[in-house]
Amino acid sequence: MSRNGPIALIYHTLFVIFMLAPILVVCFVAFTPEGYLSFPTDRWSLRWFYAIGRYPEFISAFWRSLWLGALSSAIAVAFSVPAALAIGRHRFRGRDAMTALFMSPLMIPHVVLGIAFLRFFTELGLGGTFVGLVLAHIVVVLPFALRLTLASAVGLDRSIEHAAISLGASDRTVLRRITLPLVLPGLISGWALAFINSFDEVTMTVFIAAPGTETLPVRMFLYIQDNIDPLVTSVSACVIAITAAALIALDRAYGLERLLVGRSVDGR
Amino acid sequence: MAFLSLEGLSKHFGTHVAVDGLTLAVEKGEFVSLLGPSGCGKTTTLQMIAGFVEPSGGAIRLEGRDLLAVKPAKRGLGIVFQSYALFPHMTVAENVAFGLEMQGVAAAERTRRVGETLELVGLGTFAGRYPRQMSGGQQQRVALARALVIRPQILLLDEPLSNLDAKLREEMQIELRQIQRTVGTTTILVTHDQAEAMALSDRLVVMNHGRAEQIGPPHEAYERPATPFVASFLGRTNLVNGTTVRPEKIWFATSGLAGKVRTRIFQGNHWLYQIETADGLVTVIRQNTGEAMPGEGEAVHLAWAAT
Repeated sequence: MSRNGPIALIYHTLFVIFMLAPILVVCFVAFTPEGYLSFPTDRWSLRWFYAIGRYPEFISAFWRSLWLGALSSAIAVAFSVPAALAIGRHRFRGRDAMTALFMSPLMIPHVVLGIAFLRFFTELGLGGTFVGLVLAHIVVVLPFALRLTLASAVGLDRSIEHAAISLGASDRTVLRRITLPLVLPGLISGWALAFINSFDEVTMTVFIAAPGTETLPVRMFLYIQDNIDPLVTSVSACVIAITAAALIALDRAYGLERLLVGRSVDGR
Repeated sequence: MAFLSLEGLSKHFGTHVAVDGLTLAVEKGEFVSLLGPSGCGKTTTLQMIAGFVEPSGGAIRLEGRDLLAVKPAKRGLGIVFQSYALFPHMTVAENVAFGLEMQGVAAAERTRRVGETLELVGLGTFAGRYPRQMSGGQQQRVALARALVIRPQILLLDEPLSNLDAKLREEMQIELRQIQRTVGTTTILVTHDQAEAMALSDRLVVMNHGRAEQIGPPHEAYERPATPFVASFLGRTNLVNGTTVRPEKIWFATSGLAGKVRTRIFQGNHWLYQIETADGLVTVIRQNTGEAMPGEGEAVHLAWAAT
């Protein structure tokens, strides 16, 4: 490993501070005893953490976000497997158009998607339902799921599948015993990235969620519109704590780099 | 009747002709090498035998039966790939057992045959390892064991040794030849390495631009090359007085073609000379017998036996 010079060190320090400062500030503010957003100086309090208990809609919104993210990401990954195998390994008419279509949700502003889905779901009678949220989130997270699934499909050595065929495996057996296990790290990474994006999504969801189907970010957004108390900061601090714990657990169990880059099993 | 026969086999990719009417008869138990530079069509030929590439024309017959009518998964061929193509998520034993499992061989029999084949390739104690925990040479043996365990009618080797370093490659050549002799499987090797092809094969098929330039035993192809391409591809050659002469068949004499030593390189068991003559640069290889040899800048005379 090469050693960094003093300038690089200063640059990196500033960069890390820039990245972490907002998160740290939110966590500090969460411990204020005051009724407004203030940086605690001498007095610390858990008042706003206890306050979460008086707002069960935050708790239920949290669980809803979790389920929504898990479900929509799983469905998006399931969709992206056949798409990735086809796009990644074959040349056919309409291949580029197909790729562009699957990637297009990245290009369209979420506000526009939100309004479009609002109108569309009202028409279908899905307005404000959980099913509607899942459908909309599948569309939004599909590019993330597909990107990583595609990366692992492209990186797959075709001769491994040829070897299995030459040993007498049917197409189905090759898919089940060889291809799927080999792209699995990509699927897991794709799911994780999709989940993070779904959990985080507010711009579109705020249009299509109704009271009773609000996700956590939407609930927080709506709350902060009418209130200036530090409740949202204590909720944020909880989310940060849960995220940090999950990341540490994942890193121990699986390796974060492997998770987010989608390295295959034998990639050293 | 030949065991495996290729009859006017061709493959076109658009306007590019990869394989151009290749005809070849392989006897049972024979070791045949398809040898040539990259792009000569040797790999495409192998892929057509394996069934991964569909021929544009011609036929492939195995014991008289039309092999092209058989699906790749049903051809019963053992293939060793250049990249080894081991299943990275399976142990060595699971890799080798895969083909037997596909054939529906019972578990006990499977274990016995996997153990037997791993012994054959010298990996008896590695059954529980994963491919990534093994060296290139060991992975290569696993790939060979996986192909051999199904008792294939033909063993296809696609540049199997090209990813190994020179010393290991030589060891594996000897071992591969011994294993092939032991099991007696008809083998087709694809390689660009003429030394490897000559060391291993009963017969060579020297290919260029999709065609077989010469088919014959290595020694014959080396001594009596059918075309200038074969002569130059199978080792070094000199063109002097309109005839081709191998560098190791020229000696220093008191009279003959006059020249001056331009460079002299010592290579342990032999000396490699470049001699400037009126006929151009001539390469000479002389055995190192321990005697004094002409130095750089010295005037020499070259002689060789008339062919």
